Amino acid sequence: MNTYYAANLLIFAGVDIIACLALNLQFGVSGIVNFSFIIFQAAGAYAAAILSMPPDSAPDYSFQIYFGGYQLPFPIPWIGGAIAGGLLALPVGLVVLRRLRADYQAIALLVTSIIANTVINNARPLLNGAAGLALVPQPLQDQVDTNTHAYQYLYIGLTAICVAIIWFISARIVNSPYGRSLRAMRDNELAATALGKNPSALKMTMFIVGGAIAGLSGAILVGFLQVWAPSTWLYPETIILFAAVIVGGRGNNVGAILGALLVPVGFEEVTRLLTRMNVGPPQLIPALEWICIGLFILGFLWFRPRGVAPEPRHVFPGAPVTEDTHWVEGAHAS
Amino acid sequence: MSLLIAAFGFGLVSMSVIALAAVGFTMQFGITNMINLAYGEVMIASAYLAYYVNQAGVSIWIAMLGGAAFGAVFSFLINRFVYAPFQRKGTALLGMVIVSLAVSLMIANGMLPIVGYFSVAYRERFSHLLRIGAIALTVNQIVIIVLAVAVMLAIHALLRYTRLGKAMRATAANPTLARNCGIPTQRVIDVVWLITGGLCGLAGVVAALDSDSFTIASGAGFLITALAAAVLGGAGQPYGAMLGAVIIGLITELSAAVWAPDYKQVVAFGILVLVMLLRPQGLLAKRGALAAAG
Repeated sequence: MNTYYAANLLIFAGVDIIACLALNLQFGVSGIVNFSFIIFQAAGAYAAAILSMPPDSAPDYSFQIYFGGYQLPFPIPWIGGAIAGGLLALPVGLVVLRRLRADYQAIALLVTSIIANTVINNARPLLNGAAGLALVPQPLQDQVDTNTHAYQYLYIGLTAICVAIIWFISARIVNSPYGRSLRAMRDNELAATALGKNPSALKMTMFIVGGAIAGLSGAILVGFLQVWAPSTWLYPETIILFAAVIVGGRGNNVGAILGALLVPVGFEEVTRLLTRMNVGPPQLIPALEWICIGLFILGFLWFRPRGVAPEPRHVFPGAPVTEDTHWVEGAHAS
Repeated sequence: MSLLIAAFGFGLVSMSVIALAAVGFTMQFGITNMINLAYGEVMIASAYLAYYVNQAGVSIWIAMLGGAAFGAVFSFLINRFVYAPFQRKGTALLGMVIVSLAVSLMIANGMLPIVGYFSVAYRERFSHLLRIGAIALTVNQIVIIVLAVAVMLAIHALLRYTRLGKAMRATAANPTLARNCGIPTQRVIDVVWLITGGLCGLAGVVAALDSDSFTIASGAGFLITALAAAVLGGAGQPYGAMLGAVIIGLITELSAAVWAPDYKQVVAFGILVLVMLLRPQGLLAKRGALAAAG
């Protein structure tokens, strides 16, 4: 196992963990079925790319068309990516989250994801259309030679720092009184409203926070991959993350991390292994991978809806009623 | 001006295709309380089945019936073996949306090794051009319009004038009450899946024929337009879906004439966003044949 392979694995794992933590805040803790999650990661990636790239008139970059190109030094593209994710969440959330019923919200977000991809794919002058952006500069590449092992370790370290920060933030949110309000809204929106909580504001906040974290994950990913195109953020990518959170245990940060390691990372590795072993026709393995992800979702929702690492029950000593955490299974469904 | 009239002609075709897809989708939601996000993939699966039958030398109009039958059986089976068990288990609406999206993913990828990534087309995709004033439509397109009108009338007759239709409306309005009144709701729901699945399959073949060539990736686009029409009319309302189809079909074709054809779906999406902002319950909510789900 060489350093590049290890770096690849660890950085993808870090990005998936950050993304799953964000999705867990939205889906697991707050009950927002954000089927457009991947567009926030994409927004972060595009923002980080145009913040770090030179203008498209630069000699090496003239084969692509994009706006911006600010050549800003390292931490700014990543911060910009997070801001872009959060900013995108604002209009989407304002349209979708305020008046619609929860199931309408889910399908509206799914449609948003598909359409956003169509638009970026077809509007070439915006972000180079279907071909996407290439030659995105890596962070700190002027200071450190990117072709060394040391740089790989550096990138792993930067990713790890981000994972730690995001985990800390997520843990703070989940364990705070605010997190309790979110869970109350998820488990019974009507009751939470009756207690004076404002579901629209709670959802909006988590949508923006989750969007910003997703944006950061995109920025980390694009700095490593150096390319970003519409084909990397099709809507099924969101479903993988959903599978991860469901398998890991929604509502539980540890579950989200476990899910990220089991589903996106695990599947990636198994697929890579099988492809290298030349089992079956080349199209078959990726297709089977997706079918397995579907089966994972169905299987877990059926047999173990609370995941491998279930959300701890938040029952307080002396509480007259036990908390109902079976919201997706629908213990109180009509 | 003649450009707009020509676009109106295409709008008639578009609305026919959308109406066929949207009515099935909305009836599934209204009667069985299931937002079936696998609808677009069942459409494309039926379109491919018709394609293989068509390649074997059968006329597309007969292959279309095969596609409809396939869609009916396939939808019925999906409900029997996936959706219904989850619903019986008490899975809430949101959970069902995730289940149907997972099913959609599995259908698309199950088909992929069989049909491949390449675009295919039916043999009869070209036909004579007929001109009525500034409107120029092919014979295929006119048949599609006639077919859609006939199917819409049949749906209307089914819901209004038959015992089955009455039972469907009762089941949609209040399943428990319907069951207590002696309506075999389980069997009604099975029949609904067969009928709407048939519509779904038919719509898939028609949409594939209308768009000249299609690929495995077309399913998402089919789903979006059907969804937009259904939500615009008020989800769960067959007449609303018809109205939604008329509006979306016309506006997308007119926009394609004056703006860019690449953005038809984006225009449909824009309409959807407006509806969600201004009238989330849809145009015909509470006035159509079926009550709102819930």
